Amino acid sequence: MLDVPATDLDFSTATDIVAAVASGHSTALSIVEAALARIRERDPVLNSFTAVTEQRALLRAEAVDATRARGEALGPLAGVPFAVKNLFDVSGLPTLAGSKINRDMPPATRDAALIERLEAAGAVLVGALNMGEYAYDFTGENIHDGASRNPHDHERMSGGSSGGSGAAVGGGLVPLALGSDTNGSIRVPSSLCGIFGLKPTFGRLTRARTFPFVASLDHLGPFARTARDLALAYDAMQGFDAEDPTCASRPVEPVAPVLEQGAHGLRVAVAAGYFKCNSGETCYAIDRVSAALGANRDIEIPEAQRARSAAFIITASEGASLHLNRLRARALDFDPAVRDRLIAGAMTPASLVVKAQKFRRWYRDQVAKLFDEVDAIIAPATPCTAPLIGQQTFMFGDTELPVRANLGLYTQPISFIGLPVVAVPVPLVPLPIGVQIIAAPWREDIALRLAHALEVKGVVAAMPPAP
Amino acid sequence: MKRKVIRNSPPAPKRDSIDSLIIANAQALGLTLDPSWEASVKFNLQLILRHAALVDDFSLPDDAEPAEIFHA
Repeated sequence: MLDVPATDLDFSTATDIVAAVASGHSTALSIVEAALARIRERDPVLNSFTAVTEQRALLRAEAVDATRARGEALGPLAGVPFAVKNLFDVSGLPTLAGSKINRDMPPATRDAALIERLEAAGAVLVGALNMGEYAYDFTGENIHDGASRNPHDHERMSGGSSGGSGAAVGGGLVPLALGSDTNGSIRVPSSLCGIFGLKPTFGRLTRARTFPFVASLDHLGPFARTARDLALAYDAMQGFDAEDPTCASRPVEPVAPVLEQGAHGLRVAVAAGYFKCNSGETCYAIDRVSAALGANRDIEIPEAQRARSAAFIITASEGASLHLNRLRARALDFDPAVRDRLIAGAMTPASLVVKAQKFRRWYRDQVAKLFDEVDAIIAPATPCTAPLIGQQTFMFGDTELPVRANLGLYTQPISFIGLPVVAVPVPLVPLPIGVQIIAAPWREDIALRLAHALEVKGVVAAMPPAP
Repeated sequence: MKRKVIRNSPPAPKRDSIDSLIIANAQALGLTLDPSWEASVKFNLQLILRHAALVDDFSLPDDAEPAEIFHA
């Protein structure tokens, strides 16, 4: 059997790997071994992994190869190495959620539901990934495990809170990773690391056996280096799960088969007002994407600033409620920056949190009306390219804003009402930046079709880091 | 001759309503606040309250339903 050299697989897509394994040009074992070698070689710098599940991965890869040897059908992700943000339960590991405190928890006894679904499709888990403490973060910094580093400039942020996911996929360690997105934690690292990220509709993918942050805003989703790979992973993870009370009872709606329909017949508009680009990089990215998609009209998302504010206070309050006992008992074991935000969140007046939830329903109904006129809306993913690690503020137009709270200012008003979004990477030099493709609820297919169309036109791409 | 007063620590900052709110809330919630955290907690609470004011300022009908159990 021919084996593809490990060095050729560095930036291979999941689609390439599935084809190589299915055709016998490579084995799952050699692909997983190559991924493990890359992790050993590069992760001391990128710092994206907090655990590598080597023995488990090798056994799993051998099982995939054995399936093929028996002449049985392979799953749609056969032999694809993947890793998960360390808030996903991984059997045998404590679910850290980026914290020191959770290291004292007993190891998980069962994998998170989405890991089970990806492995049922033939993918191979290779480890758990660094993240911001308890997911209350947009930077990718972590006081306990160190910052995960941007693959395009190691002095810069990966973005958060799924920073390890962004760094591992953008740095070529794995072609696929999972993360969570409460206010932007998939889309921000995707933008800063120059990769594709999908935040599906709220309730689409099961959250069973993952560590929560804000129950009414938490989403899970994949990172990859192509839109097709996102679709493959997303399709394998869909489906109702009674173990997650928020998981919607909807049929599986596969997207990979419709990707090639591209942008044909779709009406795309550019978000105006609050979302108007405010830096050279964001304006260039929006101009490129809008021109390629024929998006020649602007659309105003009503009350987006207020929506962001409502998401901000729901996050603060629900997050604090989750951690109140830990704040009482182990305050000194938190990252101080997270602790002080959570303590303040615990003091948010309940009457205003309820008002924010009422506003949320009003806002959802107003934005839903926009999708009578358009099929998708594009907006910047982040207000800037990757800041330096440790950088406290950035310039937003003429205003200096704190980094930690504001890298997600374009993402928060969208996840607030659970809309599906694909973040696509515009490969600027020296640093990439992302654009959000936002669709109506349950229309991930539209966002992924547009992402794929942009890729085919050469407007967006996940580029390997410069040597 | 006037004696010079030597202080061991800087004068306590003047407390405002947010400081009082933080102290009262911490007591009510059973949270122990180290004095060195207070400035950061105050900064974050002021930020939350600025966002909350924007939400509070929005007029909704009395029968508006909250969306705690959210369906997209």
